[in-house]
Amino acid sequence: MSYLPCGTYFESYGADHQWWRTSFIKGKMVLMLVVMAVFPYLVDPQWLSVAYTVNYYILAALGVQLLIGYCGQITLGHAAFVAVGAYCSAYMMLPQHFPWPQWIVDAGLAYPISMVCAGILAGLWSVLFGLPSARVKGFYLIMTTMAAQWITVPLVITQYVAQIGGRGQAFSLPEGTFRIGPVLIDSDTKIYYLSAILVCLCLLAMGNILRSRLGRAWIAIRDNDIAAETMGVNIVAYKLYAFFVSGFFAGIAGAFYISTLSFISPEHYEWFFSLLWVGIILIGGVGSIQGIVFGSVFVVMVFKLLEMGVMWSSGALMDSYPALGWITTKIIFFKEAAFGLAIIFFLTYEPNGISYRYWQLKNYFNLWPFSYTGK
Amino acid sequence: MSAEDKQVFYEEIEITDDLTLPKLFVRQCRKFGSEKVAMREKEFGIWRPITWTQYLENVKHITLGLISIGMVPGDKVIMIGDNRPQALWTEMAAMCGGGVGVWLFQDCLMDEVKYIVDHSDSKFYVAEGQEEVDKALSIKDECPKLEKIIWDDPKGLRHYDDPMLISLKEVMRLGREKEKEDPGLFERMVGLPTGKDVCLLFYTSGTTSVPKGVLLTHYNMLTMGQNLMKVDPCKPTDDFVSYLPFAWIGEQMMSISCGLQVGFTINFPEEPETAQENVREIGPHVMFAPPRLYEQYTRTVQVKHLDASWLKRKIFEWSMKIGYHTAELKFEKKPVPAHWQLLRWLGEQACYKKIRDHLGLSKVRHAYTGGAAMGPDHFRFFHAIGVNLKQIYGSTEISGISVVHRDNDIKFDTVGTPLPGTEVQITETDEIISKSSSVFMGYYKMPEETEKTLRDGWLYSGDTGFMDEDGHLVVFDRTKDIMILNDGRKFAPQFLEARLKFSPYIKDALVVGHEKPYVIAIVCIDYNTVGKWAEDHGINYTSYTELAQDSHTYGLVESAVAEVNRTLPEPAKIIRFANLFKEFDADDDELTRTRKIRRAFVENRYQDIIKALYTDIDMVHIETAITYEDGREVQIKTDLKLKDVSQGGKK
Repeated sequence: MSYLPCGTYFESYGADHQWWRTSFIKGKMVLMLVVMAVFPYLVDPQWLSVAYTVNYYILAALGVQLLIGYCGQITLGHAAFVAVGAYCSAYMMLPQHFPWPQWIVDAGLAYPISMVCAGILAGLWSVLFGLPSARVKGFYLIMTTMAAQWITVPLVITQYVAQIGGRGQAFSLPEGTFRIGPVLIDSDTKIYYLSAILVCLCLLAMGNILRSRLGRAWIAIRDNDIAAETMGVNIVAYKLYAFFVSGFFAGIAGAFYISTLSFISPEHYEWFFSLLWVGIILIGGVGSIQGIVFGSVFVVMVFKLLEMGVMWSSGALMDSYPALGWITTKIIFFKEAAFGLAIIFFLTYEPNGISYRYWQLKNYFNLWPFSYTGK
Repeated sequence: MSAEDKQVFYEEIEITDDLTLPKLFVRQCRKFGSEKVAMREKEFGIWRPITWTQYLENVKHITLGLISIGMVPGDKVIMIGDNRPQALWTEMAAMCGGGVGVWLFQDCLMDEVKYIVDHSDSKFYVAEGQEEVDKALSIKDECPKLEKIIWDDPKGLRHYDDPMLISLKEVMRLGREKEKEDPGLFERMVGLPTGKDVCLLFYTSGTTSVPKGVLLTHYNMLTMGQNLMKVDPCKPTDDFVSYLPFAWIGEQMMSISCGLQVGFTINFPEEPETAQENVREIGPHVMFAPPRLYEQYTRTVQVKHLDASWLKRKIFEWSMKIGYHTAELKFEKKPVPAHWQLLRWLGEQACYKKIRDHLGLSKVRHAYTGGAAMGPDHFRFFHAIGVNLKQIYGSTEISGISVVHRDNDIKFDTVGTPLPGTEVQITETDEIISKSSSVFMGYYKMPEETEKTLRDGWLYSGDTGFMDEDGHLVVFDRTKDIMILNDGRKFAPQFLEARLKFSPYIKDALVVGHEKPYVIAIVCIDYNTVGKWAEDHGINYTSYTELAQDSHTYGLVESAVAEVNRTLPEPAKIIRFANLFKEFDADDDELTRTRKIRRAFVENRYQDIIKALYTDIDMVHIETAITYEDGREVQIKTDLKLKDVSQGGKK
């Protein structure tokens, strides 16, 4: 239950169901948008890549959150759908593979259109691997989604899709490919803004889907699929919708991510990423939209800070004791270990994730100077 | 300042002899039209608005419907039920049709319902739902003047086929037909009565005798509202929450007298149980409630404070110290030094604001309490947290109130100064008498009583008191309840009771000592708070009685009593007390329906305990009966512990 200040009442359901119901929350949200808008002018440029990586993780983890946190379908193969989106978008933008009418290229619509198509294709690909969910649950579903990863990335993409055009597995995307309307996406600042806009749109879409009939059905399935079925929810259909929407977000994420690299390679879609995104929602909070944001920021920042720490300490080591240089090659792997430790820590001490802690913090001040409401 | 603050206060209306509540009602409905919300009711989670135009339409159809089922001017329409828009519509409709509205407390027992329905000669009985219909059906044979029972909520009424029953919907349908037949009828009916005609018949709860019917005219009600609004004006944009019984004059005063003149929005809670929550949602600008409610607020705050974490507790305590100090300066009308003002500002930011928010008092401009004495501790508390709480004094016989505190002139041992147009005097026997345009016409069918109360236009209240040097009225307890110990020393029992009730663990108390050697108290613990305290301390209990009789609970109550004793002069100290095995209840006639204690009755009922408290024994055996709302009686046999208060004096 959200806490509303005294004197907040609604005369219609429309007003009652608004996202931002009080001027305080509206102010908070506007402030957040302003901060997002001026962010590139506030920080050192190296943080821009951190920021868009956070946004990429948000986009990718969105679908994972939808499946795990809202529909109860555990997935461990989400990188596959991101890869499908990335390759779909990449091929659709290369003129030798996809003959766009010139006016579309001139208008800068190729990338946006390819992004939507990437979403749809990834969504359909996701539905294909979602089919077993009609029959299997829990651990068995984890296995089938892992199968999606192994079938898609090492086999279909690496061996066949990536070979189209005969350039080998990895190939670069020429300069000037990423254009949205008149804007050429060619700097970190522009990539950041693109990512920020995509994140806002996708979070908005997700939030609204969740409070629609579709979202309520997913939540019913998550809470108790048998009860949902007795209430008249067509479980198989709604699970497949969930896989489609989740795949769609993954496709968008994939299509966005190639703009940051300007090249594409299957190694960016390894199974580790599927795990990472599940880790993000565990850390951020399962079944919470803010949780995706919190989790992504946390994970990216941990990596970034560790990287900075490792760089600094190995630099210092090399300067003072050049003979001990071999140690630096060892501590590089601390990064992954730290991620593992973070998951252990969160599952042990805060299984509800950062978003729960955030909720508690808000409550602490909402209840001030008491500790509970009611009588 | 916000746009709301710039909004002008209401325009004062001119009250002529010809003006009636229905005439004003029609005029206001036309003025505000469909732009402004007249009332809201919380239903299925949202506050459904009803505009003034809809209000007028509904009242018109009910009026015409009542006329088609046989209402003629002067007929009494008796109403019973929760506070809902429909209740106000029927009341207004009864007045529009030239009838007289009568209200029953919803929890009235069958005998009371029968007495009032019969005594008031009611022709129509408007019930909310099945429970109220059942009451009417079981008394209808003994009330021959009753013709129709109108119900609103159909739940449970499917198989009721008594010919006397008719639904409010059906009445409204008949009204719509009537309107087609005779379109100008409603306006003609509204035009008929004058301000001197009776509009409402109120049955006073009476702490001593059978209920008396107070006849109030349109003029009484209108001048009452106007005089109050002269002191504390309200704005048309204000919100008011109507959740106290309509059968209480205070609620009528706000909803009808003031509400209609100013045009503020009246809000009705979803259910009586959710009233507190709903009040918080609305955040009313003005409220009027008996002390009980404010006592409940302070209890809630105290208990929650005890359960808060360390930091929150400390900040609360510091802020309250500042609050009490600055409030004290305000009471004494001394200037608040700049550094205290700064501290108060800090306290406001850190604490008071949030407490008011939790209690739903964020927007309150004026909060009134009346109907019974309220302890100074409660008063201090509310002023400390920045709630402008004022004491009022009045009665049903004067259409509500006659004396009120003015802003910045608040003394918690007084009830304030008389309203404009009201004269208050003290007779030689210290009785408070008052005279104003709001004084009632007389008691219904009780000429002797009327003569006793109403002499040369002066209303004899039966209360004693005096005017202090600032012109504030000080009211003593009811004359019969003044207490003198047998050595001649005086003390004020109601004051002691109010002090006791400041403890979160004590819900009610009866202080006795008249012509006795020392003062004793019978205490009703607060089941919720003491229950929670017991759980926190690992004390087992299964019922109110068991919890009340637990020796730990006695210790808890004893320390609360000792705390009160600390500040009391020697004769007033409470020497011995007992925890009662039940709460005082209106169904057992221990309280009036407005929840004032019926002192004489209670003393008589528990005379065994009182007698035992004046002996040395520490246990007394009790056999008594309690009455449930459906009239069943149950015998209770129990042993009651009696306890000395260790600190605070000797016998």
